[in-house]
Amino acid sequence: MSKYYIYQDAKRCIGCFSCESHCKTKNNLPIGPRLSQIIPVGPKKLNNLPRMSYVFMPCFHCQEPWCVAACPTGAMQKRPKDGIVFVDDTLCVGCKACITACPWGTPQWNPETGKAVKCDYCMDRVDQGLEPACVTKCITKCLHFGDPAKKSQSKRDRHAKKVADFE
Amino acid sequence: MPETKCPVTDTIGKLSTVIDSGGLTDPRSRRRAEDILALLNDVAWGRADSEHLPAIESLTRKLEEQGKTESSQNAGKLVRTALAQHREIFISHIDTHNCSSGDCLRLAPAPCQMTCPAGLDIPTYVTLIGMGRDAEAIDVIRRDCPFPWVCGLVCTRPCEFMCVRARIDTPICIKSLKGFAAERAMSEGSYKNPPKEPDKNRKVCVIGAGPGGMSAAYYLSLKGYGVRVIEQQPVAGGMLLLGIPRYRLPREVIDREVVMLKNLGVEFQFNTAFGTDITLQQLKTEGFEAYFVAIGAHQSFKLGIPGESDFPQVKQAIDFLRDVALGDRQVPGKHAVVIGGGNVAIDAARTCLRLGCESVTLAYRRARSEMPADHEEVEQAEEEGIRFEFLNIPSEIIGSGGRLEGLRCLKAKLVSKKGQDRKYPVPIEGSEYTIGADVIICAIGQQVDTACMESVKGLEWTRRQTINVQMATMESSLEGIFAAGDAVTGPATVIEAIGGGKRAAESIDRWLSGIPQPSMPPVPTRRRRVEYLEVPAITKMTLKRPEMPLLNIDRRRTTFQQVELGHTENMVREEARRCLRCDICLRCGKCVEVCRDRMKVDALQMGYFDFDHPVATDFRVTEDRCILCGACATNCPTGAMRMEDRGGERVLSLCGTLLNRKKLLYCQSCGAVLGPERYLDFVHKRTHAVARVADDRRLCEVCARKSTAKFSAAGAPVKRG
Repeated sequence: MSKYYIYQDAKRCIGCFSCESHCKTKNNLPIGPRLSQIIPVGPKKLNNLPRMSYVFMPCFHCQEPWCVAACPTGAMQKRPKDGIVFVDDTLCVGCKACITACPWGTPQWNPETGKAVKCDYCMDRVDQGLEPACVTKCITKCLHFGDPAKKSQSKRDRHAKKVADFE
Repeated sequence: MPETKCPVTDTIGKLSTVIDSGGLTDPRSRRRAEDILALLNDVAWGRADSEHLPAIESLTRKLEEQGKTESSQNAGKLVRTALAQHREIFISHIDTHNCSSGDCLRLAPAPCQMTCPAGLDIPTYVTLIGMGRDAEAIDVIRRDCPFPWVCGLVCTRPCEFMCVRARIDTPICIKSLKGFAAERAMSEGSYKNPPKEPDKNRKVCVIGAGPGGMSAAYYLSLKGYGVRVIEQQPVAGGMLLLGIPRYRLPREVIDREVVMLKNLGVEFQFNTAFGTDITLQQLKTEGFEAYFVAIGAHQSFKLGIPGESDFPQVKQAIDFLRDVALGDRQVPGKHAVVIGGGNVAIDAARTCLRLGCESVTLAYRRARSEMPADHEEVEQAEEEGIRFEFLNIPSEIIGSGGRLEGLRCLKAKLVSKKGQDRKYPVPIEGSEYTIGADVIICAIGQQVDTACMESVKGLEWTRRQTINVQMATMESSLEGIFAAGDAVTGPATVIEAIGGGKRAAESIDRWLSGIPQPSMPPVPTRRRRVEYLEVPAITKMTLKRPEMPLLNIDRRRTTFQQVELGHTENMVREEARRCLRCDICLRCGKCVEVCRDRMKVDALQMGYFDFDHPVATDFRVTEDRCILCGACATNCPTGAMRMEDRGGERVLSLCGTLLNRKKLLYCQSCGAVLGPERYLDFVHKRTHAVARVADDRRLCEVCARKSTAKFSAAGAPVKRG
């Protein structure tokens, strides 16, 4: 995994797709590729009430990414300093091996450039100390970017609070 | 002429840099610059029409004048100066869909077309012939050459010498394909004239009914001018008829194509010699406004040796061939000697044989390899029994009592002369010998007969006694007088005369309409972009250039029947499939580089891409190694390399040559295309070290993401409602 993690507080997500829109705007993408995606799941009956879930799926930036292994040109790389998996545009020849290899369907095809594109946590923004575009523009603030350890901590805190409230 | 750098591509590059640098901060300027860029890209892609340039100019003006920042004004200035300096090239891109520098990748012209003096769109018509669309092919040819049938029989085919296919095996049989299509279209009645523009009620006079003159007449007539062709002889054709013997070019072929001109309304005035029967002044009073001089080069060079003018049996080849063509078919003598090594010499020698000479000897001062005549012609002449004597310099023509006895010659040796490619024959002292002959025919070259033009005062001539013209426009030194053909080039080829005539017609039209003349010669026009002929790789590699079937040797020695019998329909259609479509594939090597150096698959073996370091070409090897990843097609700048999914297969083709096809596998959840097994295996092999899956279902990326999402949604604890 990379040093970073985007935590989606699914409880708050209303499925507005702001994250996706801003992702596309920031990465200047044509019709087709969607780097981060909200996948609607449901509706499912729970206690006789229909419920929808919206699952936010960017790239997981795997520990041992299949896409990096699959890439024959070395365009797909894992950044050593923080584990972000990204495509080096100049090396990509568009063979789509990464797209085929990824079990999560993460790398996308950009028909305009004829190259693969994928979520790189907006690493240019990250390097400037900013957050990825999707997180910055999330309307309900359900997306959080940062240290995975801290994210899990906040979840734990919240659960503890709930327990303490004797809800 | 090839530009070192194409100003269109150059401007696009510079403007993109300006836009990408983010210097155009004013949104309106930025949008204008982007619009200009889009229009310029249209020009570079051959998608532009006549409205593009005015639109670019108006946007440029606004960008420069109303730009709020210095950078936007500079961007405007950049485009404006490029347009001002190279306007002609921009227009040429729009009109011809060819970029002679090859910088505009989609407009890179085919070598065959660029070499053709008349600029025929060869890949297009070859493909049409391959499709069996002969009449359409003839339409395409006739936009650049009114005589496809004539050219299909006698063209010197410079295109075939440039043919890229020759780097694999042998060039495409372009000449014969054209001849076949013309003959077929003519016999089917589908050989038609294109529609004429409305009458302009202006008259142009063409002097000389040869290939150059008649080409100009054809194009002028199509543009709506009234054209009269003045010809000294009683028949049309010029050198086609008078110089080229019937066994190479039957006169019916010339007649049929000339009739097409007559149908257009071109008027022929035969038996009228310019300068004697009719003068420029007379023509002017008749209302002609422009003149096109295509009088050819009909005067033979003299040997300049003793005895040359003492015997009536010493003939000039051009006069001899003309007399035979016009019906004087008497045998000139028993033993003929023809002096010269060009096509005219061979023609004269073979004509002598057919008229009944017992022996025909061709005496040439250089060696066989130096002969300017066509290789095939020389071979055919030898088969017919013409004897060749090389390395001799005629010194005297001898005879007694008015009877010609022979040609005295000196043996010669070839020496290299500084600054000259061709070796020069030098006589060897004391090596005199005699070749017995009772008729001698000199074919050592022709020049323009200037006498008929003497009355045209002020017409400039070159040192070589040819009419001095501006080569881009064929304008002579006199206002309203244009010239082309052998009269300008000296003895040359049919196709050069046709190209000259076409160019002259264009500039006569411009001159009469008051449009400024171009300063550079026109770039050949891409007439169409036809679909590829689909050919399996094996077929592409194994098809062979067909041999030309010839008349049997006895008839060739005794009659004037056509020697080359023409290819059969099957041969022609198959031959067209060998074409590599260089009008689309510019052989940049990007596909090979991507496959070999980047993907490390190395499935493309296209030796013919590289002119200097040819390695073997084999389209067949692709099938063995290619994984059908499609990177070559993705990186192909012209769309020559193509990958498509069809009929349950993934198919890779280069200009229609089927390089590889493999069965497709589909997503086991939604049925979307995954790719062929070999491709999936390629990916799997690379990832198997890190990829350990429990579920080995093959899923497409959409389903993969969905199944993960479902998994995480289902697995997540949900707060009860």
